[in-house]
Amino acid sequence: MAKEMVLSGCAASAQAAKYAKVDVVCSYPIRPYTALMMELAKMVANGELDAEFIHGEGEHAQLSVVLGAAAAGARVLTGSSGVGVTYAFETYSPIAGGRVPVQMMIADRALDPPGDFGSEHTDAMSCRDQGWIMGWAENPQEAFDNCLINYRIGEDHRVLLPQFVCQDGYFVSHIPGKVVLPEQSQVDEFLPPYKLPHPLDPKHPVSHGPQIRPDQGTIMDLQRAQAMLDAPAVIKEAIEDFNRIFGRKYSPFVEEYMTEDAEMALFIMGAHTMTARHAVKHLRSKGVKIGLVKLRFVRPWPTQEVAEALSKFKAVGVIETSTSYGGAMRGGNLLHEVRASLYDLPQRPLTTSFMAGLGGEMVPLKEFYYMADILSKMIKDGKAKKTVYWVGFEAEA
Amino acid sequence: MFNIPKEKEVPLGCITPAPVTEQPMMITGNWREYRPVIDQEKCNLCMNCIVYCPDACWQLNEAEDEVVWNAKYCKGCLICVNECTTEALSKVYELDFADGVVRLEKPF
Repeated sequence: MAKEMVLSGCAASAQAAKYAKVDVVCSYPIRPYTALMMELAKMVANGELDAEFIHGEGEHAQLSVVLGAAAAGARVLTGSSGVGVTYAFETYSPIAGGRVPVQMMIADRALDPPGDFGSEHTDAMSCRDQGWIMGWAENPQEAFDNCLINYRIGEDHRVLLPQFVCQDGYFVSHIPGKVVLPEQSQVDEFLPPYKLPHPLDPKHPVSHGPQIRPDQGTIMDLQRAQAMLDAPAVIKEAIEDFNRIFGRKYSPFVEEYMTEDAEMALFIMGAHTMTARHAVKHLRSKGVKIGLVKLRFVRPWPTQEVAEALSKFKAVGVIETSTSYGGAMRGGNLLHEVRASLYDLPQRPLTTSFMAGLGGEMVPLKEFYYMADILSKMIKDGKAKKTVYWVGFEAEA
Repeated sequence: MFNIPKEKEVPLGCITPAPVTEQPMMITGNWREYRPVIDQEKCNLCMNCIVYCPDACWQLNEAEDEVVWNAKYCKGCLICVNECTTEALSKVYELDFADGVVRLEKPF
């Protein structure tokens, strides 16, 4: 019978991997994601999980190990945080280009210098354009669910792409929350066994990852681009099935909260969504017409869904938990994509972004109230004064 | 949907059949600057070139009793020239073909 437990995001992800019956796990320590590997190592040692547990000599090795294992027909899990994520950067493109659907759990951590344990999305966001499916979980339950959902999407033969399954370090990875653990039969119904169309197999030898000619390069890129174009339909199917089998209410790409009759909205992903929701609820009780739109997938970016969701507002504030130094918006990464999504609309909302929750800082309620104030001013003035506000550090409000 | 010409098609993830003696999807002969040229008179069939070639571009033709060179895949590293015991191998600048520069059926 399905049971409820209180688990951290890392422990929830480990449970999900157990339900997914992963065959090979490869670890290397870096906090905060390490707790995932501690859980999995315990499961293997206790005989609860029948998997090869390999300790890599670094993140580059971790990713190379799971690439080989997945190419040979194993469902795999690896993970990392912060500079560990960027240390393995070289491997991300060949894994996606080779169309090997490995899964990597990322519990975000700020990048150096000189060393910050706090959560920030910059580590994972730096890797967003390599052809990996990518999205954030808001709480341990979503971390559990996203693990299963991403295996299903990535392993679908119409997609065959690896997945970054992200959660905010500490806020999700270490703060326990209620997690419903399903029946194994439910997971088996949702997630078919891992099967590659092109595995390494002595009976039918193939060569993976050969050198290619320059004139083949575009076509390789095109294959990956096409897989990303095909992914949204598969994601919709997977979420529909997931909701049906597990009794959940996810919408595939964007989730709205209190957006009916809202004039302005916060656009956000990850752990701080929970606080933002409380802020919206409180502001609503004061008569502020504000709503919230939560993003579930960054790759593939749901251009149309974002445009549809945001088109009805007068002003939108994008909460950036990653940096894009020198970028067009002078702040984070999300506003670039949001503005590009809105560009073709006949009537575009005013947009700006808020740098908040960087370096592992909390985003307290009062910061969301500040954002709502800025959005109200934008509506009153009929224009966005700036593309980015560094919340708490602006000289003038 | 995209239109990819038949001759440019690449298998999914560029995963190719194996083992094969020659991989027509990756011809490396056009990387050369110099190519090894053999003087069969001087060759004593010590087979060093066969052993040392990293890309198996020297092979023994048993019927003719001579070593033969594979122009399609030789990258021109010239290890064979270095290892030749009888100075039967020498390096020749790649553009010095008698009939001009013709090496690949499908240049890019």
